[in-house]
Amino acid sequence: MDEASGMHYWRAVMAVAKRWLTTYIRYPTWVISVLLWPVLFPFGYVFSMRALAGPTGEALSSFAQLAGTTDYVTFLVTGTTFWMWFNIMLWGLGGSFRMEQLRGTLESNWLAPLPKTFLAVGVFLAEALMGLVQLSMSMLTIALVYGVRLAGSPWALLSLILISIPSIYGTGLIFASLVLVAKEINGLIFFVRGLITVFCGVTYPIAVLPGWMQSVSRVLPLSHSVSAVRAVLAGGGFGTIAGQLRYLAVSGAVLMALGFLAYAIIQRRMLHAGTLGQH
Amino acid sequence: MSRAMVEVEELRKEFPRRGKSRQDPPVVAVAGVSFEIPQGEIFGLLGPNGAGKTTTIKMISTLLKPTSGSVRVAGKDAIRYPIQALRHLGTVLSGERSIYWKLTGRENLEYFAALYGLPARVARQRINALLDRFALTKRADENVERYSTGMRQRICLAKALLAEPDVLMLDEPTAGLDPQSARNLRDLIREVKSEGRTVLLTTHYMEEADQLCDRVAIFDHGQIIALNSPGALKHDLDDLNVLEADIARWDDAWGAALQERGAVNYDLRFDETARVHRLTVHLNGHLTTGEAVTELVNLGADIRQFSLKSPSLEDVFIRLTGKSLRE
Ligand SMILES: Nc1ncnc2c1ncn2[C@@H]1O[C@H](COP(=O)(O)OP(=O)(O)OP(=O)(O)O)[C@@H](O)[C@H]1O
Ligand SMILES: [Mg+2]
Repeated sequence: MDEASGMHYWRAVMAVAKRWLTTYIRYPTWVISVLLWPVLFPFGYVFSMRALAGPTGEALSSFAQLAGTTDYVTFLVTGTTFWMWFNIMLWGLGGSFRMEQLRGTLESNWLAPLPKTFLAVGVFLAEALMGLVQLSMSMLTIALVYGVRLAGSPWALLSLILISIPSIYGTGLIFASLVLVAKEINGLIFFVRGLITVFCGVTYPIAVLPGWMQSVSRVLPLSHSVSAVRAVLAGGGFGTIAGQLRYLAVSGAVLMALGFLAYAIIQRRMLHAGTLGQH
Repeated sequence: MSRAMVEVEELRKEFPRRGKSRQDPPVVAVAGVSFEIPQGEIFGLLGPNGAGKTTTIKMISTLLKPTSGSVRVAGKDAIRYPIQALRHLGTVLSGERSIYWKLTGRENLEYFAALYGLPARVARQRINALLDRFALTKRADENVERYSTGMRQRICLAKALLAEPDVLMLDEPTAGLDPQSARNLRDLIREVKSEGRTVLLTTHYMEEADQLCDRVAIFDHGQIIALNSPGALKHDLDDLNVLEADIARWDDAWGAALQERGAVNYDLRFDETARVHRLTVHLNGHLTTGEAVTELVNLGADIRQFSLKSPSLEDVFIRLTGKSLRE
């Protein structure tokens, strides 16, 4: 790649990201997903936990023993916040590709004289940025509404969040590629959502799962993100979450590579089947 | 002869039949077509629905991989080196959905300019010039969703011209436009030609192909059944008289009788608004127009009006395929 095409690709990536963000905020529903949903979503879990715990939390001892804390509000809202982030991405990347496929803009993007991977990189950057905004909104809400405080190192928390991005968006890219071939993958998305809900300890400590389910849980990057966030909120630092950080770095690299590979394969397929646009 | 900007050889595309087993024969969308377009020519692909025009354009524009055959754009192998070929191509696909409705006209052009690798300063100048030329400057900062169909089509055309391509390809450029906008767009296309660019367009309006194109390839069932200038194509029908008649009621036996008497061909279509059958009869020396009309009247046809036409590309198509272009 010479310097001129390097500049070209960089400009293209930035233009895609900018276009994505501009169109995103011009559909008014963005307010709901960025500002309202993060606030409302955890309430359901918090109240059902309150009902189970009893007015003074007398029924919490088993939870405390397994989770290592009686602060179920913090426990729940951190879990659900990450779950939500993951979820938005799972729909987001694929959804935006699919929408462009239906609208016909995917084809006009493909007419540009550049390797099409750069288009995905641009969308990825924009999605990641918007995801971080949503996550910050959730965390702000958590702090203000639920009174959750960060006891541990803010830098560890920030690093953890950044290092979680590749796993999450790598999975998103694989999904986006599937969406483009299968056109309808709601079923698959619900399946993965369910899997994540059950295995990643979003609303309960993983220790309540049977042994084999715990092994599955340990493979999924999101379980590591969730458990590490909880550890940092409870006062941990880099040392406490070193294992999770390492795992997330490796799984992130693997999932991103798989994501871009899936995208490349699907792109070839679409060029043969003529499904870049609607037929 | 000037150099060929588009060279298509034995181009073929098969699609697997959807939802059927693998043994079923595939759909042959394009069945091996060849043509060359010299620089500065407006070349038209004319044919009925499903003839394979869009499939051909998509293969040239690298959006679709051919099953076999070759495509060169400005000498570059478009199948092996799509990115190099794309540098010479500006393409407008059918429909107005190839731009972002939530962006303004100017934002759309800025976006695609960046995808095409234009430096910001060059892009700004070209965008201003194109907006001006296409009479869009006043509305340039409004979202495209508020544009008329004609304006959107012009933005799409501006988008395709941003990178000053050698070849401009347009799939059904005037579909869905009112007559005035369609005329405007045809003028713009002629202007593009006058800048020395090569234009490839598809259409199923024969008048459009006739007026606009230097040469026309008539497509049917994925094949080119005739290729020449509109004048030459019609000239081949020189011996032909075309009778057009509006008839209240039609009986297929009458058609057979006409052919028996020596009519070359006939075609029938129902005009919904006038509620009459519009009959087109091709005649050569064997049966005169007068004889044909008399014959019809004798058979009991209620002829509301009739006229003689000079042959059009439609007649060329009817002559070649035995059916009308517009189904
Ligand atoms: N992606 C695809 N998958 C399967 N079949 C396809 C695909 N694209 C086109 N076809 C089929 O190929 C044939 C040619 O279609 P094409 O769109 O090229 O025709 P066309 O000449 O552009 O017609 P129209 O005037 O309707 O636009 C049709 O039978 C169509 O159904
Ligand atoms: Mg078409």
